[in-house]
Amino acid sequence: MTDKTILAVDNLALAYGDNPILKGVSMHLNRGEVVSLLGPSGSGKTTLLRAVAGLEQPHAGSVIIAGRAIYDAAANIDIPAEKRDLGLVFQSYALWPHKTVFDNVAYPLVLRKVAKNEIVQRVHAALKNLGLDHLAERYPHQLSGGQQQRVSIARALVYNPPVILLDEPLSNLDAKMREEARAWLRNLIVELQLSALVVTHDQSEAMAMSDRILLLNGGVIEQQGTPTEMYAQPQTFFVADFMGSNNIMKGRIGDIKGGEARIDLDNGLSVWGLRRTNAAIGHEATAVIRVEQLHLADGPGHNRAEVDLATSMFLGDRYEYVFHAGGDLLRAWGKRHEAAGKRWLELPPDALWIF
Amino acid sequence: MLQTLPRRAVVALLALSVFFPIGLVLYQSILSGPFFMPASLSLESYAFIFDDPDFWLAGKNTLAVAFGMGAIAIPLGAVLAFIMVRTDLPGRRWLETPIMIPVFVSPVVLGFGYVVALGPVGFFSVWFQEIFGSVPWNIYSLTSIIIIAGLTHVPHVYLYSSSALRNLGSDVEEAARLSGASPFRVARDVSIPMVSPALLYVGVLVFFLGFEIFGLPLILGDPEGHLVLTTYLYKLTNKLGTPSYHLMAAVATCIIAVTFPLVLLQRVLLKSAQRFVAMKGKSARQRPLMLGPWKWLALALILAWLFVTVIVPVAGIALRSVVSSWGQGIHLLDVLTLDHFRAVFEEDTMIRSIINSILIGTLGGALAVGGYLAIGLATHRQNDGITRFVDYVILTPRAVPGLMAGLAVFWVFLFVPFLSPARSTLFSVWFAYTIVWLAYGMRLIQSALMQVGPELEEAGRLVGASRARVSRDITVPLIRNGLLGAWLLVFMIFEREYSTGVYLLSPGTEVIGAQIVSLWASGAVDVVAALSLINMALVGIGLAIALRFGVKLHD
Repeated sequence: MTDKTILAVDNLALAYGDNPILKGVSMHLNRGEVVSLLGPSGSGKTTLLRAVAGLEQPHAGSVIIAGRAIYDAAANIDIPAEKRDLGLVFQSYALWPHKTVFDNVAYPLVLRKVAKNEIVQRVHAALKNLGLDHLAERYPHQLSGGQQQRVSIARALVYNPPVILLDEPLSNLDAKMREEARAWLRNLIVELQLSALVVTHDQSEAMAMSDRILLLNGGVIEQQGTPTEMYAQPQTFFVADFMGSNNIMKGRIGDIKGGEARIDLDNGLSVWGLRRTNAAIGHEATAVIRVEQLHLADGPGHNRAEVDLATSMFLGDRYEYVFHAGGDLLRAWGKRHEAAGKRWLELPPDALWIF
Repeated sequence: MLQTLPRRAVVALLALSVFFPIGLVLYQSILSGPFFMPASLSLESYAFIFDDPDFWLAGKNTLAVAFGMGAIAIPLGAVLAFIMVRTDLPGRRWLETPIMIPVFVSPVVLGFGYVVALGPVGFFSVWFQEIFGSVPWNIYSLTSIIIIAGLTHVPHVYLYSSSALRNLGSDVEEAARLSGASPFRVARDVSIPMVSPALLYVGVLVFFLGFEIFGLPLILGDPEGHLVLTTYLYKLTNKLGTPSYHLMAAVATCIIAVTFPLVLLQRVLLKSAQRFVAMKGKSARQRPLMLGPWKWLALALILAWLFVTVIVPVAGIALRSVVSSWGQGIHLLDVLTLDHFRAVFEEDTMIRSIINSILIGTLGGALAVGGYLAIGLATHRQNDGITRFVDYVILTPRAVPGLMAGLAVFWVFLFVPFLSPARSTLFSVWFAYTIVWLAYGMRLIQSALMQVGPELEEAGRLVGASRARVSRDITVPLIRNGLLGAWLLVFMIFEREYSTGVYLLSPGTEVIGAQIVSLWASGAVDVVAALSLINMALVGIGLAIALRFGVKLHD
């Protein structure tokens, strides 16, 4: 841990009764950094965020914010949520329906006994930052979803918390607005130099928004790294599968040469790829290749196979081809419409992982 | 921690208020005499009542009432619910409120209403006799008591079955229709099995209510001497001449021994019923079942039921309160009078009982809701040992019929020296009412609290508000409407209450309900009629305000 670290979680464990949710999670967040907690539902990502916030009760480990231990099972420290000084943007925004936008944002300052005129000044500054100044007297139900979200962010930022936590910040917006909001939110975080911990289940959202990604699976961190590392160098099948659109094929290891291996697939194909498993020759393995890495070839060659193109689907910016290869359906992307029939397909060995 | 101190204080006070009176009853039951006299531990009180043939007779009658009531109320209530929720019955929305009226009329008033309407010289009996020559019914028989109890408990069954039917998503029924089931098969194979947990629950509830029924058998069972356990307990006072507290406590303990397991059983059944509901589908708009010409028959049956359970007794009381006497050959116009009301308003005790009743409903109701709210907040979103403990504490008073709860509270005020000055103040009555209706009130408060999204409170915690601050600034303001509704419902329930005040009745603590019970024993029919009408008017005012504010009469 360095003095750049603003949030450090060490070996945090949490269970609901006998059911372990977090099985010893360690992570850190640097000043001015955005870290995403990514994972499928039930992986513990929201629980981790809520445990940091003080809304869930861990039973082991520690959480340190800006050098202050807010939770430490060994030292019996457990600061209640209201004393942790964190900002949390709820998935549902959690705006208080009986308070106006102004009162919602002002409440944290009222609790901190800030002088009245300063409250007015700071709330208006916060609302202005988020382009909400003209809505101060409205009630939450009179706002659109996007506006409610911004009020919720203003409320979480108005008291300058060292870390801001965002729980699925974009999931309540409709698909089209989501991409715009993503850019807006990333820009806001960078501009205000916030340190943010973001929970999301959408890998493209995580990659777009964050400096680092923590992928959780079953209560442990499966892999962490920058978005490019996570996408291009998955260490496990779970990470490879979760981070992109893939072709997944089962088979047996046929040959091994250093970091590479040949896999004899159940669909009849036999291809070389990067070896990410310790399985010996003859053992079962799984081949994974991103949909965008497969491409059509003009004839036979290394790691090429002749397969049956069943159909081409138009997706707007590209076509998706669907191939029959033995019992598997393979997908690839291309620029042009292709007629059905036999085609040569290349699976580049440096883009194919064998787990 | 400072925050948990008020919580513990609330829970401790609650536990003391609930368990001390009940503990006193149990303790008294194993004494050889009243606790304020020198007495030794003994089981002679049990020996005495088990030896008393009246006790066994009362027990047998109680079982007959409980089972008979269920046999009448459950099928009628379930059918009523189905007709109201699932069919195109004309005037369904208009009927929703009148159906609930029997719940809000004091049973003792209702019983009295039947006496003056259908008794030997009741209005309807006399008219019937003038037309047909004789009256085929005897209002004082055990069968009549069972039928009336059954008919007046139909709303309880209706309430639970209709909400179960409403929660049942139409998609599960539509899926059955599309699989090829006729509407009848859908009802038989899907709808009824899915609401059967609710029906089972309501069956136990009705049996339980039958066990603690008091007002109806007190009034209707008296002339022919049909005793049930509660009226047996009530009459026990005069059995030995001296205060036979130990005997009363023994009977009370016997009743609790049956009702408490029933309450626990209800809790288990309710949970399993809710689990069933959790599997419900989406409740889209339901297409009502077309009854065709049958709908007029259904409407006629419902109106006939309303006529017998609401109009007959209420009209009887209204008429009786404005005539000087009644019998065969008397013309209504000759005997019209307002003397009974004049008599009520000339006597101090009567005026006091009216004022006290209003006070206990308004101010007492508000205080009770405040107390329930404090308990609700003490356990709100804290799933720990204390909360589970409170869950059971809240349930316990349900097992104690009002008559006995009033008795227990009366004893507490006798027993605890520093409380005795408060015995003859309205505080003792308020305390007893608040404990008796604890489970009911807590359900209102808890369902209001459940409406508040947890994240609204968590957001408060995150921005720096303590638990207490969150309750004050966020939770309570958000449930204002729920609290107002709870206050109005508690007002009606407190106006309706009669048995709890019976043993607490003394100069200064008169309330209308208990006053009616006591006056009935002295035969003052005229004044009872006037008081009954005033009592119904008070409940009616509460009902009108509640409907005006859109308060749901059930959850």
